[in-house]
Amino acid sequence: MTELPVERPAPEKTPERAGPRTTLQKLLSRFHFGITLFAVALSGLTILLAGVTALLGSADRNLELAAQLGAYGAEPALVFADPQAAREGIAPLTRIPGIARLRVLDDRGKPLTEWTSPAKDPIPLLTGIFFPKPASVDVRRNGSVIGTIEVWGDSSTLTDYVRIGLLAGLVCLLITALGTIFLARRFEYELVKPLNEIATVAHDVRLHRRFDKRVTPLGIAELDRLGGDINALLDELQGWQGTMESENKILAHRASHDTLTAMPNRAAFDEQLALRIQSAQSRNDRFALLFIDADNFKAANDNFGHSAGDAVLVALSGRIKDTLRKGDFAARIGGDEFIVIIDPLGNDASPDDLASRVRAGVARPINLPGGDSYAISVSVGVAVYPDDGTDPTALLTAADAAMYTDKLTSRS
Amino acid sequence: MLASLFLIGTLFAAPQMSIQAASQTIVEDSADGRARAVNRMLGGIISYARWPGKPANMPRSMCIVGAPQMTNRIAPGGPTVSVRRMTVAGITDDGGCDIIFMGRMPAADRLRLIGWVRSRPVLTVTDDDAACVHGAMFCLDGRRTSLSFSVNLDSIGRGPLRIDPRVLKIGGSE
Repeated sequence: MTELPVERPAPEKTPERAGPRTTLQKLLSRFHFGITLFAVALSGLTILLAGVTALLGSADRNLELAAQLGAYGAEPALVFADPQAAREGIAPLTRIPGIARLRVLDDRGKPLTEWTSPAKDPIPLLTGIFFPKPASVDVRRNGSVIGTIEVWGDSSTLTDYVRIGLLAGLVCLLITALGTIFLARRFEYELVKPLNEIATVAHDVRLHRRFDKRVTPLGIAELDRLGGDINALLDELQGWQGTMESENKILAHRASHDTLTAMPNRAAFDEQLALRIQSAQSRNDRFALLFIDADNFKAANDNFGHSAGDAVLVALSGRIKDTLRKGDFAARIGGDEFIVIIDPLGNDASPDDLASRVRAGVARPINLPGGDSYAISVSVGVAVYPDDGTDPTALLTAADAAMYTDKLTSRS
Repeated sequence: MLASLFLIGTLFAAPQMSIQAASQTIVEDSADGRARAVNRMLGGIISYARWPGKPANMPRSMCIVGAPQMTNRIAPGGPTVSVRRMTVAGITDDGGCDIIFMGRMPAADRLRLIGWVRSRPVLTVTDDDAACVHGAMFCLDGRRTSLSFSVNLDSIGRGPLRIDPRVLKIGGSE
């Protein structure tokens, strides 16, 4: 068999990708998580800032209100300069959360009473930033200032809010993570699955040469375009594959057959003989090998020309074929030499019968192209497996020898 | 909000006991510190009293009866109080007193005066009844180093005079 010169472009080297490979799902998941995290963080921060601002405003108002209440409650105490009464006047304020310190000053700025919250300030720094000055309210009596109430806030309200805010943010983050996983799963189902389908088809084609496989429509425009291109590529590949197979068949036939008579050639015969021996051996059967040689073929060539010789060979091959039964095999192994394998060989058939049957089959004169007629005769040698030999060479030699004997006999 | 409601609630819930000594004003450590403290306290008490049918900042007349125990220079803080010395008979006849300051006086006179004051818009203050059991509305107490006052809620409750509950609270609780 001839090696086909198939044009094979050097495969392009795919550049090695740096770093570990990742799956599409992981990529999408990371992407989703990033976006959602960003959104949550942004909105959370906005809400927190807005909340803190509003809270600071209300905390300031709360302090102001507390100071007003203190002014009302401590007014008589200031009038009577009574520290005990002042303490009682501001006592209700001490129960308001978020107040760190209270002070009642008289008209000369001297403290009448003072109270400091026993609760520790959670974050003194925040207090310093957001409540640097006390809420201060003057106590007036008949139009003149008789004292001042000062109320200091602390960061406890703020920290409470921020703590709740952070907790809510954490919960949001958790929900975000769950949502991201869910979204990624959905994406995997809707995107990765179709991609996998394409990959499966490509893999099948590459590994099992299943050129009839096609990518089914996936319902995603971009992927369908990809699938369509792959299908078109597969169509072309299948076409090429078909052409190549038929060409291979033709070439194989040419390699094993004689071009003139279209009979199997020597190589095909050698192959066939080996097979028949093997088969007969396993079946414990017999077959006959007939060596057929045209008599005086050289004379035909010389007298009528090579085209006439060719016509004789074609006609002879046709007549030999006609004598074949089903299962028999005929080949042209040389210029005017033919071989016939009679297989299976019946027990009753003798070699001589076989030879005369062939001789009789080809005995009619052949009409040559020029209008002449040529009387053909052949010499036939028979060898029987396993009587005359059990290997191809022995059988062929025996048949050859028998044919010569026959030729000599017929000449004499 | 709740806290402010609570605050107002405590201020207006007047204690139901009738007499208590409570307020303790700081007495300045000078020669006439006591007189000034007494006058300041009187001014304060007067400023928290409301006479029905009369404007808040109208001039008031104070009538002193009996012998004041704490100071002889009674001149309550605030510019709108005029002070007169009167007898019990003068007060009951005249009827022009908005405030009666009761010094030391015979028990019969005092009873007569308290009886007359009842159901009239007159503020009564004494400095001779530390326990505040003899019928005066406000009782100054100078027994201790500091000056204080008590209120007699019975007396206040019987009259038409209105007293700011914050003052009642100061004078009514320990």
